[in-house]
Amino acid sequence: MSKKKIATVWLGGCSGCHMSILDIDERILEVAKLADIVKCPIVDGKELPEVDIVLVEGSVTSDEHLREIHHIRKQAKALVALGDCAVTSNITGMRNYFELEDVFEAAYVKAVSNDKKGSVPNHPELLKLRDKVVPLQEVVKVDFVIPGCPPDADTIFYVLFEFLNDRVPNLSEVKKLKYG
Amino acid sequence: MPKIAVTIDDKKLDVDAGKTILEICRENGIEILTMCHLKGLTDVGACRLCLVEIEGINKLLSACTTKIAANMVIKTQTEKIKRYQNITCELFYAERNHVCSVCVANGKCDLQKLGYKTEMDHIRYPYLFPQCNVDTSHAWYVLDHNRCIMCTRCVRVCAEVEGAHNWNVMNRGNKVRIISDFDTPWGESETCTSCGKCVHACPTGAIWPKAIVQGQLEKKPEMITELIEKRKMNL
Repeated sequence: MSKKKIATVWLGGCSGCHMSILDIDERILEVAKLADIVKCPIVDGKELPEVDIVLVEGSVTSDEHLREIHHIRKQAKALVALGDCAVTSNITGMRNYFELEDVFEAAYVKAVSNDKKGSVPNHPELLKLRDKVVPLQEVVKVDFVIPGCPPDADTIFYVLFEFLNDRVPNLSEVKKLKYG
Repeated sequence: MPKIAVTIDDKKLDVDAGKTILEICRENGIEILTMCHLKGLTDVGACRLCLVEIEGINKLLSACTTKIAANMVIKTQTEKIKRYQNITCELFYAERNHVCSVCVANGKCDLQKLGYKTEMDHIRYPYLFPQCNVDTSHAWYVLDHNRCIMCTRCVRVCAEVEGAHNWNVMNRGNKVRIISDFDTPWGESETCTSCGKCVHACPTGAIWPKAIVQGQLEKKPEMITELIEKRKMNL
């Protein structure tokens, strides 16, 4: 059996889900026996190659995320939404109750720490925030979801291990469903 | 109490007449999901989770507001009911802003537990992201409309047990809100006695004491049931 390829991606999230991936500790060796990890946020900025499984952390908050998630969808056989932000938009979606302008004002101009000297950054190299933050399933087809903020390392390992052994995981069956 | 014969989930039972289907099911160890039911308070059938199928009736009826009758053939666990429960649970999450990770009730919330029971892993409906107010005007408690599911347990416990009737409901559809007095800040209420019963009746993190941090909320709704039962004993 040839080795599978897996990747992890960090979109609009806090990287807590990636910390949780690291928390699978020595079990990463089990994963490494069955798969090569070909891309993760600490490698260089190359585009995602074709992979069997991709774990995507975070929601779609900007034009760059939207482009990236469409690319990921094309490259991955199985797209797994990892964590509450990817599944429900979670904390990143809390700006959706307000107009984007007001959100910028609140963060860059009106915040007390700005000493009344703040201005909204608008460098052309910066990514453009979308009006509303959306979870992954609103823009692409998602094959599996792992809710949780962050999901437990055990849950992540369980899902990876099942997929790598050509089985379909069932979080509810193994009592690993968790939000928040 | 006279006994009547009914069939629930293919099991023949002799049960007390005059009780609701929900009461009978709970007495016989048949699990029925509920959010708006709190034993002792008047049932209103608000959450639509306790729907059951009754032979001969072509719509689902809420078990908490339907009285049991002789020879009823009731089903509580059909695929149709489970499908409706899934939809109901997901709509609770989609309608307002339930962000578990920043909620005081995280880990101890009845809405989260409902999600686990209905095996909800994501929400199939677009989120509405309504702008909801948070009323922090009361000296001890907070009302966060983001987390309210309109079960109206607070309204009923305040009117029926405390007798203050501080809480009420205004508007309809997805604009529906719990209000204090005539939609004035809770802290300015002339009727609220600050007894805290609504805090314990609330199944989510919508009403909570200020002296609490994320994930530390402990609610004891069973205390309200106990109080109601003890009052009856004194009569």
